[in-house]
Amino acid sequence: MTIINITLPFGMIKDLDDYSAIVNEILKHEISFNILKFSTSSSGITMLLDIPDEKIETITESLKKNNVIVNKKGRVIIDQEKCIDCGACTSLCPTDALSTDSEFKLVFSEEKCMGCLLCLDSCPRHAIEENF
Amino acid sequence: MTKTYAEINEKIKKGDAVVVTAEEMVKIVEEKGTKIAAEEIDVVTTGTFGPMCSSGAFLNFGHSDPPIKFEHLSLNDVKSYHGNAAVDCYIGCTRMADIRPFEYGGGHVIEELVSGKSVRLKGTSFTTDCYPLAEIDTEFTIDDLNQAILCNPRNAYQRYVCAVNSSDKTLYTYMGKLLPHFGNANYAGAGSLSPLSNDPEYETIGIGTRIFLGGGIGYIMGEGTQHSPSNRFGTIFVKGDLKQMKPEYLRGVTYEKYGTSMFVGIGIPIPILNEGLAKKTAISDEQLLTDVVDYGIPRRDRPKLRQVSYKELKGGFIKLNGKKIKCSSMSSLHGAHKVAETLKKWIQDGKFYLNPPAETLPMDTIFKPMRMSAEMKFVKDLKKNAEICYEDCDIKIVAEIIINKNTNHIVITDREHILKGIVTSFDITKAIAQDKSDLKDIITKKVITTSDNEPISNAARRMKINNISALPVIDDNKKVVGIITSEELM
Repeated sequence: MTIINITLPFGMIKDLDDYSAIVNEILKHEISFNILKFSTSSSGITMLLDIPDEKIETITESLKKNNVIVNKKGRVIIDQEKCIDCGACTSLCPTDALSTDSEFKLVFSEEKCMGCLLCLDSCPRHAIEENF
Repeated sequence: MTKTYAEINEKIKKGDAVVVTAEEMVKIVEEKGTKIAAEEIDVVTTGTFGPMCSSGAFLNFGHSDPPIKFEHLSLNDVKSYHGNAAVDCYIGCTRMADIRPFEYGGGHVIEELVSGKSVRLKGTSFTTDCYPLAEIDTEFTIDDLNQAILCNPRNAYQRYVCAVNSSDKTLYTYMGKLLPHFGNANYAGAGSLSPLSNDPEYETIGIGTRIFLGGGIGYIMGEGTQHSPSNRFGTIFVKGDLKQMKPEYLRGVTYEKYGTSMFVGIGIPIPILNEGLAKKTAISDEQLLTDVVDYGIPRRDRPKLRQVSYKELKGGFIKLNGKKIKCSSMSSLHGAHKVAETLKKWIQDGKFYLNPPAETLPMDTIFKPMRMSAEMKFVKDLKKNAEICYEDCDIKIVAEIIINKNTNHIVITDREHILKGIVTSFDITKAIAQDKSDLKDIITKKVITTSDNEPISNAARRMKINNISALPVIDDNKKVVGIITSEELM
């Protein structure tokens, strides 16, 4: 699965039909996807979607055709060479993707990471990077 | 029963010494009791591996030809302190590089030196008859130095606090990233492995004590700065030969929006000379307590919210106000464990001997606050009366007040003077340009505020960070009691 960050610019959605049109655009590719995050701001509606790798091209294309802004987004990766197992990142991770084992070594579970990137600037060794 | 240092060292020499880590000692005493443990165990090793900002190294470069007496010098663009003889310097780990601050600092330079990497030295001099060279730009490795001495005035805090953040903003501190509204908690210290916690009356620890330092052998020079034994915040001043140390135990680090520091690995061996020491070294994470402190309050005396044990902290969650919050260790517990195990192995292998201190660490020093000769100013000392309008006021009246009172900020409140928003002269101009006539459409509702008892410097910093020029002063009930603008701060 790959995470994409989509933004429906402010003013694009005036009523429910506009929203349905975009959702239908995704659904017509007959895929299931996860909405990891949904937020609204003055710039519009932003969603983090988790999409099967093989469908990413088609979906990106059709969303862009509908004027939706699509940015590929990363989960994080840990550079084991740089990591010193302090664990400073673990309390920031909402999904326990970052945790420590019984010997207090850092463990990262890619499947649990939802790309919120809260941990990114917490690492004193810059061992956490966004993996596009 | 009692043992002497000589008896223990004799056993180490023969390879007969029984050495355990402080974690293992907890279980041994639990099973066998202090009396038997004191007879059986000779040495308990401790360890900690965490960020220790008061760390650095003295370096001596030897003389150039012609000779130079440094006035300014930098190592990989990190300025280092030069206030000694011609070619001595002190590189401190929190000093940040001029070209990439908040990314690279003195701690990273030390890590690179210990790794055998080449470091660039740039220096200038005002020149003298005996030191005529004005400038130097050269590269060196640790092997080229005469002396490289790690010398840390404050290391290995006996324990440290657990930090949380009550404010509504993410804070970036030396205790890491603290999420708003008590979103997480960060603590430091190795708990039951912590060196000073295993001998809290410093019966065996003091000047000259041989220790594990940065992967090599070091010595305690005495009490560390801010040594505060009465409330169990003891510290040590340490030194050691950097040339013997390992990058694995000396790591340069950077804390986002705070700056650089260095992780230092330290382990102290505690000789079990008597039953009392067996008991002390058996202290468990459950018995070691520390305070949960609110870093959301930017003052010296931050509120203490509760006491928490290292057992709870190491479990990954603490309870606060009936909620479970995730907590992280700032120091590496894995590294602390490795330090204690390595020191244990050195002693077992007969490579490391114990010695009595020339003088034990003091038990009576106190940690005083800074004497501030200038009186601190608070918001209440400099605030002025706020010009107030109600939400349903006509924009034209607001504009008139701005002109008549010669002000740029109008605070909007309800009839009880409870803060509802703020309007600036710029907002009025904008309203006219955009043909807006309703005050409600131009009010900034999310207002950044201050209170009477906030120090002026904190209020000024908030204005700077948010790029604004005024803060309404409110009381606990959000009632407006004044305003402070950048003009008052000039």
